[in-house]
Amino acid sequence: MAGPYSGIRVVDTTGLSGAYATRLLAGLGAEVIRLESPDGSPLRRLSPFAENIEAPENSLWWSYLAMGSHSVVIDPQDTESLMQLLATADVVFEDQLPEKSVLPAGEISPTTIRTKILPFGSSGPKRNWHTSNLVAWAASGILYTTGFTNRAPVAPAAPLQLAYHASAASALVGTLLALRSRRMTGRGQEVEISMQEVTLSIAPETGVPMFMDDRVHRERTGNRRDLGRPFGLYPCKDGFVSIIVLMPRHWTAMAQWVSEATGNESITEEVFVDNAVRVEAKDLIDDWVEELTTQGTRLELFEEGQRRGIPITPVNTIDALVGNPHLEAADFWTTTHLQDDTEVTIPGAPFRSSSPWWSMAPAPRLGEHTHMYLS
Amino acid sequence: MTDTDDLPLKGVRVFELGIAIASPFCGKLMAHFGADVLKIESRMSPDVVRILGSAWLKDREDLAPISSDTSPYVSEMNASKRSVGLELKTEEGKAAALQLLAECDVFLANFGARALAELGFDYDSVAAVNPNIVYVQLPGFGSDETMPYYPFVAWGPNQAPLVGMDDFTGHADDPPAGIATIAPPDYMSALHAAIATITGLEQRDTTGEGVHVDISQFETTLALLGPFVMDYDLTGTVYSRIGNRSIWGAPQGVYPCTGNERWIAISATEAEDWTTLRSLVGQAVDPEFDDASIRNADQDRLDEQIAAWTSSFEVEDLAHRLQTAGIAAHVVSTNEDLLHDTHVTSREWYQVAPSNRLGRDVFSGCAVKLSATPGRWTEAGPSMGQHTREILSDVVGLSDEAIDHLISAGGAFEQIEPGMVATRPWNDWIHLLVPGTEDARDL
Repeated sequence: MAGPYSGIRVVDTTGLSGAYATRLLAGLGAEVIRLESPDGSPLRRLSPFAENIEAPENSLWWSYLAMGSHSVVIDPQDTESLMQLLATADVVFEDQLPEKSVLPAGEISPTTIRTKILPFGSSGPKRNWHTSNLVAWAASGILYTTGFTNRAPVAPAAPLQLAYHASAASALVGTLLALRSRRMTGRGQEVEISMQEVTLSIAPETGVPMFMDDRVHRERTGNRRDLGRPFGLYPCKDGFVSIIVLMPRHWTAMAQWVSEATGNESITEEVFVDNAVRVEAKDLIDDWVEELTTQGTRLELFEEGQRRGIPITPVNTIDALVGNPHLEAADFWTTTHLQDDTEVTIPGAPFRSSSPWWSMAPAPRLGEHTHMYLS
Repeated sequence: MTDTDDLPLKGVRVFELGIAIASPFCGKLMAHFGADVLKIESRMSPDVVRILGSAWLKDREDLAPISSDTSPYVSEMNASKRSVGLELKTEEGKAAALQLLAECDVFLANFGARALAELGFDYDSVAAVNPNIVYVQLPGFGSDETMPYYPFVAWGPNQAPLVGMDDFTGHADDPPAGIATIAPPDYMSALHAAIATITGLEQRDTTGEGVHVDISQFETTLALLGPFVMDYDLTGTVYSRIGNRSIWGAPQGVYPCTGNERWIAISATEAEDWTTLRSLVGQAVDPEFDDASIRNADQDRLDEQIAAWTSSFEVEDLAHRLQTAGIAAHVVSTNEDLLHDTHVTSREWYQVAPSNRLGRDVFSGCAVKLSATPGRWTEAGPSMGQHTREILSDVVGLSDEAIDHLISAGGAFEQIEPGMVATRPWNDWIHLLVPGTEDARDL
């Protein structure tokens, strides 16, 4: 079944900044062409790599993010082939400022949608500045507030490259709006994403509008917060669980659980129903809660705590996620094939739709489709 | 008031049952690009942004009645929406909501799946009154009641650890730092909801068929973990936190500068970055680090030497020096820094729009910018119930008498104390932050 964007041709000239967007577009049926230089997309150089497969076909980032797309290799000097390819595109994804790009600065055609994902946008004093996942978080205010007070600030979930993926997802929202607009008006346009603004848009909790209102300087708070107790990460047999108790009914259930599991009779005393009292006595409360959490595993505590109606979740690691019973029951995980035909587990569709929207072929070999598009 | 003729979502009406971030952030995007987003609100179980209130309001008992309209999150998550007070747990309120739904194009909700079903607003119930609706829901664990975690609760800071983000956050030798202050799964789910909604609208407009999209926040966020899941399947490797380092090269980190808690983030992971960095650090870093394999193998020592070098610089100065040379770097910005960041303000990131309750309010703009059909902000966040009457009248077609009856029966409510207004503490100097704001007073 053809997806909802079948018939739309997309040329992606970006690396990590646009890849998640064009992956989704491919899943939704668009014809996605990844423009590669003769030595391959920058994604192909990102580890981890699959054993037994030679470069440039062994990157797992490429194998995941380039799924469902076509690979066309064009030498950067070969302007003619480049223009031939671009002329047929409905959408072009770019990540360079006009003066640094191999793509034409002027209009490709009146109907082309050009989606530009730039470090700091195309205007302003920092328009020429470079970025990275880390630098984007630094520029958002989030990095400063994440981590322990006696240690350097740390980026959120650094290995995941969230700043890039959030930028790509934002770019896709803009691209789909532009496609809708084009269907109504017949005109293409430019979509611009500043990675800094994307991270700022995820940062309102530490952001300027909040700060202007309360004038409270934000500091790092480690993995617990004094908004409530228990609130944050607590150690258990095989790692940590996250517990967030603010509401009285959550506390009552929590105290009952601790009491049943550890024989603690003091914790159910009426005085502790007041969150302010618990924050005041936070060391004591934390000790009591840890007596419970250190008895169980992440999964045991998660499932039992949730059964009791408490907002508790496991601090999951990849192995725990791949083996998670809910995801297994929901048939979430799926597979793809690497270039040597090895079958490997991957996350399934990012959402479930009552219409058949989603399908994904494996990632292409370098230049696999060059002749198809440039003959 | 504002011309929406050219906007991509003109004529689209959204019925939003949103709390906190995931659904409201998506609705705000829709509103910016021209949709008429109706935020359905309840006094019996209000959105958390209505409970938070405002810091400066604490000592103002005279303003207590309007506290629900004063949290900065109201505008941050709900700018340009209209607020409709409907109590869905009452028969009258539910009936009015279903009448309203018949006139909507999109249903958007991030209530728990069970709570939504118990209210009678699951897909089948909504499709019964509006068969072609684009129905997008964002429950924590999906809407399939046969699945093990269907009744589970997870929100904000609880979702990030669940999908592996907390374990990935922190220095390698420390316990997980956790993502205490932000909730990336909420925002990633919101962006996927926007993608699904626009896709659903396109399908409906071209084929006439509506759609039900189920965004399990658990699953959606896991889609970002692809390469790590694959490596685990192939080799059993379990990736974990690595501080600020890159898995692809060194150096990358956060280093101290002069002053208290002043830090700089630097990424110089490519070979050419190192050549450039070497020209700046000179003898401060051992010559052996010119070998990339040594940079990667001995990052502790490399970081120590770079930190010793950065610690004699003023942070803004160093960031400019590095960027001018071509290296990705930035001050690890605090709120105070962002407030004075001329790059951010030159791009008009912070927006000011009229507010019914506050005269005007400030909120973050939209990171999605379109050249030919740029979005717009008609208003800041609405007061709770501000538009109840006009929507029940104009959209549902109820008479004034019918609306009065609905309100007195407890099925709907209008905003409290319509004449009571307040101003935020920054009201007199906001033009320093947002150029051109003087004019907004008159809007």
